Amino acid sequence: MALSRQEVKQMADLARLELSEDELAAAEQDLDKVLGYVERLQKVDTQGVEPAAMPARTEWREDVALPCDEAAREIIISNFPARQGDLLKTPGVFENPKGGKA
Amino acid sequence: MKLNELTITEARSKLDAGEITSEQLAKSCLDEIENLNPSLNAYLEVYAADAMAAARLADERMSRGERLGVLDGIPLALKDNMLDQDRHITSGSKILEKHVAAYDGTAVRKLKEQGAVILGRTNMDEFAMGSSTEFSAYGPTKNPRDLERVPGGSSGGSAAAVAANLCLGAFGSDTGGSIRQPAALCGCVGLKPTYGRVSRYGLMAMASSLDQIGPFAKSVEDAALMLQAIQGADPQDQTTSEEKPFAPAWRENLSDVRIGLPRQAWGQGMHPEIKASVMQAIKQMEQLGAQVKDVDLPYADEALAAYYVIMPCEVSANLARFDGMRYGLREKGLALFETYARTRAHGFGSEARRRILLGTYALSRGYYDAYYLQAKRVQTLIKRAYEAAFRDVDVLITPTAPNPAFRLGEKTTDPLTMYLEDVFTVGANVSGLPAISVPCGLVENLPVGMHMIGPAFGEADLLAAARVYEESKP
Repeated sequence: MALSRQEVKQMADLARLELSEDELAAAEQDLDKVLGYVERLQKVDTQGVEPAAMPARTEWREDVALPCDEAAREIIISNFPARQGDLLKTPGVFENPKGGKA
Repeated sequence: MKLNELTITEARSKLDAGEITSEQLAKSCLDEIENLNPSLNAYLEVYAADAMAAARLADERMSRGERLGVLDGIPLALKDNMLDQDRHITSGSKILEKHVAAYDGTAVRKLKEQGAVILGRTNMDEFAMGSSTEFSAYGPTKNPRDLERVPGGSSGGSAAAVAANLCLGAFGSDTGGSIRQPAALCGCVGLKPTYGRVSRYGLMAMASSLDQIGPFAKSVEDAALMLQAIQGADPQDQTTSEEKPFAPAWRENLSDVRIGLPRQAWGQGMHPEIKASVMQAIKQMEQLGAQVKDVDLPYADEALAAYYVIMPCEVSANLARFDGMRYGLREKGLALFETYARTRAHGFGSEARRRILLGTYALSRGYYDAYYLQAKRVQTLIKRAYEAAFRDVDVLITPTAPNPAFRLGEKTTDPLTMYLEDVFTVGANVSGLPAISVPCGLVENLPVGMHMIGPAFGEADLLAAARVYEESKP
């Protein structure tokens, strides 16, 4: 099935990717090709088949607070793109939350 | 023979006999890196001084008669998505250009505890998405056999580093073939363990239900040692298994080994000489006692299709964390939405963006059932098909890749042609099974890999069969 430019733009917004018109056009073409390929899945009869589950241990671990390795803490803080002391600085969440996208 | 050309097994016995030192080994790898890395771009960063210091410590231990593990003093390389505390780590992406790993991943921690000498981090397709290493933000890696050609991917740097003897062994990660396909294209051994065999804690996630860390090695025996060093249940990774750990169980010949050739896979398009080369290897295995027969393994095409739905869905979720807030690139001076959107558009390369969009689409309202849920149902059918096949045979064999190493730029314009590189390898990820690529010949002077899949947690039998073949080669 073919994707419309509008749908691609909508996906880019949902995925928080600012794409130019050219990039959207290229994405539209690429996605069409890949979706065309995976279309064959629709022909497989899966009636009554359970979706595959990820193998994982099901018991829960104790909910306890563990101390943080001090070196790890220092590195995590030094990786902040912007900071004030040991605090992470971000753009305002409540001022103009959707930016120009009202 | 130069020391960097030794296998781990050979180096171990020379170290134990006091014939060589770890310092000499590390030096010999570092010299070769200096010679060849400028043209290969296998390593993104080399820790020369630290590696020499670690090697000297290993030598001191040896002189006191101590040994931390089989890998003590052995120089190895790590893919650039395996966290190694206080070192830069980028996952091949511009979005993490200045990022520093805050902690050691479990596999890395185990390697350090066993005294391994870490030489550096190796190049890869961005966030492990690609089959050629051309989607690295730091330039492609070249195939050591032919600098005009790709080494495969996504772990192309690790494959090239092993093939060109820039280390004794290297680690990578495999989500759809990212260890086995580059191993095949560069001519070394590459092993993807059973899902759950090795902890993913500290491996940057691409598609969490499919990712697995594994070794690149110069021999099957080395791959076994490397897997033993990193395997095991881990409280930090709920998907690691409590199964009995892998231990090698080598054998003399292949009598009683039943080899299955999946009809549907062998019916796929492949280079005729690749086909001939792998068939020749299978004939040789038959002479060593194996029984060979054709088997049905339905959903060969569908496995690739299911992979290209499930994987991008998980990618779109896993890469959502790169939002410019807590780490990595942040485009500054913008409102919140624009900060996210511009940071991600500038930080991610074309393939990462493509897969994020694809996953977002397949998970979005109205399409979730048709794409993601249907793919997960087909995944159940694929798992059952492998289980059924392994009731009749012990190992399934195909080529690892349909073609030998292709030219740089040959497959970057059409994503689908690149995706088809994974046609023989994704099945093992979708079904969670262990699989190994073993060099089996040359086509136009380029390496060919034979792909062998075993039943879940059947690494011992799988590697034993692979080694009998490997040792029988002229």
